[in-house]
Amino acid sequence: MEFLNLTGLFGFLALPLLLIPYLIRRKPQRLPFSSLLLFMDAGESASAKPWGRLRLPPLFYLQLLLLALLIFALTEPVFSIRPTNVAMVLDNSASMQALEDGKTRFSLAQERADALAGELGVGAKVDVYLTTPTLEKVHAVPLSPGEAAAIVGKLAPYDLGEAPIDYDTVLEQLARQHKYQRVYLLTDRPARGQSALARVITIGQPHGNTALTAFDVQRSSLVNARLDASVEVANYSERDEKIKILLKGNGAELAHREVLVGSGKTAAVAFEGIADHPSYEAEIANPDVLPVDNRRFAVAPASRNLRILGITPRPRELESLKAIPGVQIDIIAPADYDKSEHSGYGLEIYHFATPAALPRIAALFILPPESSTVVDLGQPVSNVTVSNWRDPHVLTRYVNFNLFRPAYARPLKPQTAGDIIIDSAAGPLAFASERQGVRYLTVGFDPFPYLGRDNLPMSVFTLNLLDWFFDSRGGKSQATGEAIFLGKVQQGDQIVLPGGKKLSITPGAGFFGGAFYQGIYQLTHGGERQLFARNLRDPGESDLRTPAPVAIGGDSPNGASASVLFSFWPYLLIASLALLLLEWFLSPRMAFLKSSRAPARAAQRL
Amino acid sequence: MLPSPFTPHFLTQLEILRLRTRKEFLGSHTGGYSSPRRGTSLEFADYRRYTPGDDLRYLDWGIYARTDRLYVKLFREEVDLFAYVFIDASASMGYPSREVKFLPATHVGLALSYVVLANHDHVKLHLLQENSRTNATPFYRGRRRMTDCVNFLALAAPDGSLQLAPVLADHLKKMRRPGKAILISDFLMPAASYQPGLNLLRAFNLDIAVIQILSRHEVDPRFPNGSLALIDSETQKEIRYQWSAEARQDYQAKLAHHNAELRSFCHQSGIHYSLYVTDRDLSDFVFATLPAIGLFK
Repeated sequence: MEFLNLTGLFGFLALPLLLIPYLIRRKPQRLPFSSLLLFMDAGESASAKPWGRLRLPPLFYLQLLLLALLIFALTEPVFSIRPTNVAMVLDNSASMQALEDGKTRFSLAQERADALAGELGVGAKVDVYLTTPTLEKVHAVPLSPGEAAAIVGKLAPYDLGEAPIDYDTVLEQLARQHKYQRVYLLTDRPARGQSALARVITIGQPHGNTALTAFDVQRSSLVNARLDASVEVANYSERDEKIKILLKGNGAELAHREVLVGSGKTAAVAFEGIADHPSYEAEIANPDVLPVDNRRFAVAPASRNLRILGITPRPRELESLKAIPGVQIDIIAPADYDKSEHSGYGLEIYHFATPAALPRIAALFILPPESSTVVDLGQPVSNVTVSNWRDPHVLTRYVNFNLFRPAYARPLKPQTAGDIIIDSAAGPLAFASERQGVRYLTVGFDPFPYLGRDNLPMSVFTLNLLDWFFDSRGGKSQATGEAIFLGKVQQGDQIVLPGGKKLSITPGAGFFGGAFYQGIYQLTHGGERQLFARNLRDPGESDLRTPAPVAIGGDSPNGASASVLFSFWPYLLIASLALLLLEWFLSPRMAFLKSSRAPARAAQRL
Repeated sequence: MLPSPFTPHFLTQLEILRLRTRKEFLGSHTGGYSSPRRGTSLEFADYRRYTPGDDLRYLDWGIYARTDRLYVKLFREEVDLFAYVFIDASASMGYPSREVKFLPATHVGLALSYVVLANHDHVKLHLLQENSRTNATPFYRGRRRMTDCVNFLALAAPDGSLQLAPVLADHLKKMRRPGKAILISDFLMPAASYQPGLNLLRAFNLDIAVIQILSRHEVDPRFPNGSLALIDSETQKEIRYQWSAEARQDYQAKLAHHNAELRSFCHQSGIHYSLYVTDRDLSDFVFATLPAIGLFK
C-alpha cells in the first residue's frame, strides 16, 4: 500500500486533539439537591482545575475511528500492483554533484534507480531519461531492469543548470505517449504532492554552499596589453564565510585573495596586472558540498592583432581603419567574397554590401543595400538627431550624442530579435543582435572613414564597436551547454574536452554542441589552436538551501496507471461518512436509552 | 379550606378507616382502643373471684352452676387514642419545591390526622425543624378541628437542617400520654442520625409508623449529563459531580440500599414503614399501601 499524499499522514498527529473536549472541565452547572448524602462517595470537592478526570464514553471511540478514517482517506492510500512498463527520469543537473556523506547525489540516485529496477519483475520494461540539457531518453529500445540498472550506472551528471521543465505536465505526457505505468523522477528537489502515475524521489538535504558566480579576464582597453581579472563569489549559506580565492594561469597559481562574504551575499574580487596566459582558472580553496561551482575558467582576451575582412565597393573609407593601432584589415569587393579565403578573421565588415547568408563570425553591416536579407531600411534622412541610446553599453560609452549627428542615415527596420542601441525620431540607427554566440551589428549610417580627433563622437563609436566585436573584455566565458562555433572545419580538426578527451570534428559540422562540462575546450584547426571557456552559469544550481519543489498536483489516471493502482480512499471516505451518520444517529439515542433504562431498574429496586 | 386531594369522597373514605395500634395505651376518655385497664367494654378480658361489693350483673352464673363458686367477668376498657404526627420540615423536604414534596407530605399527615379526628381521638401535629424546635399544635379532637390542622401546616415552610434525635427529644419532653407516633420524613440522613431518633420514640412507648417521602426528582434525578456542582439544600455544601447515565444508576443503587437499610431497621424495631413517592396518587397510597403495612384496622 502506498500513500499519494504523504503529508496527510501528519494528520494523525491531530488525533489526540479529540481528547481535549473530553478533558476540558466545563464550568459546572450549579444545581441544588435535597441531600448530598448519596453523592458523597463519588463526588469530589469543588476545585478550580480546568482539567477534569478523563472520561471516555463509547461514542469517543466511534469519533476516533471516524477521524482516523477521514485522515487515512486524506492520505489517498492506494494498493499498487508491480508495474511492468516504467520510466526512470534522472536529474543530471550540476546540483546532483553535491556531496551527501561523501557520495554525490547522482550516485545516490543511481543506487536508488538500481534498487527500483531490482523491485521490478523480470519481464518489466524500463526506459531511462535524463533531464539535462533536455528531457531525453538515453537509449533507443526498452530495457530490461538489469540493462537499465547497468545503463544508469554509466551515466554522469553534467555541469549544466536544470532545464525549466513543468514536471507535472511533462511526466504525465511522457507516460501517456509511451504507456508507462509509472514514472519515477529522481531529483534533488523536494516533491510537493504525488500522483498515481508520477513518483518523485528526492535525494539529498539542503546545504550551505559557496560558489564562484562570475570570472572575467579582460584588457583595460582595446589596445592595452595589461590584463585584469575579476571574480564574483557568492555565499549561499546561513553564516558569513571567509573565502580564499586562487587565481591560476595554465594550472599555476598566480595570485590569491581572501574575502569575507556575508550570508546570502556576493562579493567581487579583482586581480590587476596578471601575467598573460592562454587560459585562467579561479578557484575557491575552501572545500564545500558542491565542488563544481568552486571553479571557473576563462581564456585570455582576443589577440591584439585584430584581423578584419572588409567587403565594400568603397575601399577607401575602410582603409582609414588601419589608423587604429593593432587593427589589420583586408578589403575585398563584394563580388570577390565567394572567391577568396576568409578564415582567420575576427570580424567581417559589410560596407554597403550584404552577405548571401548570415556569416558564422561577427559581422558589421553598414547601410546594406535594398536587396539585403539582413535588415529593411527606411527613407533616407540627413543630419539625423539621436533621440535615445542604450546606456550603459559598450557601444555607447564615452560617445557624446549631442555632437553625434550622421550627415546621411537610413533608419532600420529590424526583422529579428535584438537590441536597439541608438534610436532617432525617424527610427533605429544601430541594432545589435547575437545568434549562437556570434555578434552582429547593423548601423543605418556610415561611421567611416575613421577620422580620429577630427570626428570625435564617430571615432569613439568606431572604437567602441571594435571593442565590442573583439570583446576586449573577451576572457568572458560562456555558459556550459552553449555551442562552440567551429568555423570552416578541415580534415584533421579536433576538439579537446576539459577532461583531455580528443574528439575529431567531421567536416561540415558548424558547431560543437557537447560542451556540457565546464572547463577549457581546445579547438585545433589546422595549425592553429583556439580556446573556449565554458562555465556553469546557474545560481539555482549553487544555492542548495531551498531548492524549488517539484509540484506534482494533478492525478489524472489513464488506463495504464489505473491498472497498477487500486485507489480505495473513496471507500474510506464513504465509510467515514457512514460512521458520521451512525454517530449522529446514536449520539442522542444512547443518552436517551441510558436515561430510560436506569429509572426502570431503580423502580425495581425501590 | 381543605387542600385539593381532600374531596368529600376522599374524606368519606377516610372516615371508614381507623388507626391500628399494636400497644395498649391509657386513654383519657372512652374510645375505641384497648386499654390495659379493665373496663366496661363488650370485649371479655378475664375472670376474678367475686368479692363483696362487686356488681352482681357481672357474675358468671354458668361457672357458679358448674363449680359452685362465684366469679365475676372482667371486660377490657376501651379508651381514646392520642396520635402524634411528626412531619419533617427541614429544607430537604422543599426539594425540588414545596409543592412537589413538602405539600404531599403534609397531605399524608392531614389524611392520617383526619382518620384520627373522625374517630374522636386526639391528634397533635409536630413540625420537626431545627430553628423552631417545639413547633406543634395542641391536641385536636373531632373532625371540625381538621381546619386547624390544615391551617397549621399551611403556614409551615421547609427550612434549615435537621438533626432528628435532638429535635424529637425536644418535642417528646412535653409528651405526657403515649400513643401512636407517625413520623413523616424523607430520611435523607445517615443511619446514625435517624436510628437514635426512632429509638427515642420507641423509648417513649409509642407505637411508631414511619412514612418516607421522596419526590420523583430524588428517585430518578434528571440532571444534564456532564459536570455538575450539586448544592446540599440543608448544609449548602457544594460538591463537583460528573453526571452521566452510569452516575444515575450508581445514585439509584445507593438510594435503594439506603431505603432498604431504613426498612430493615424499622422491621427489626417493630415500626411500620412505607415509602411514598410524591407523584403517586394520595388516595391510592392511603387506601392501598398503608392498610397493607397494617397501619389501619
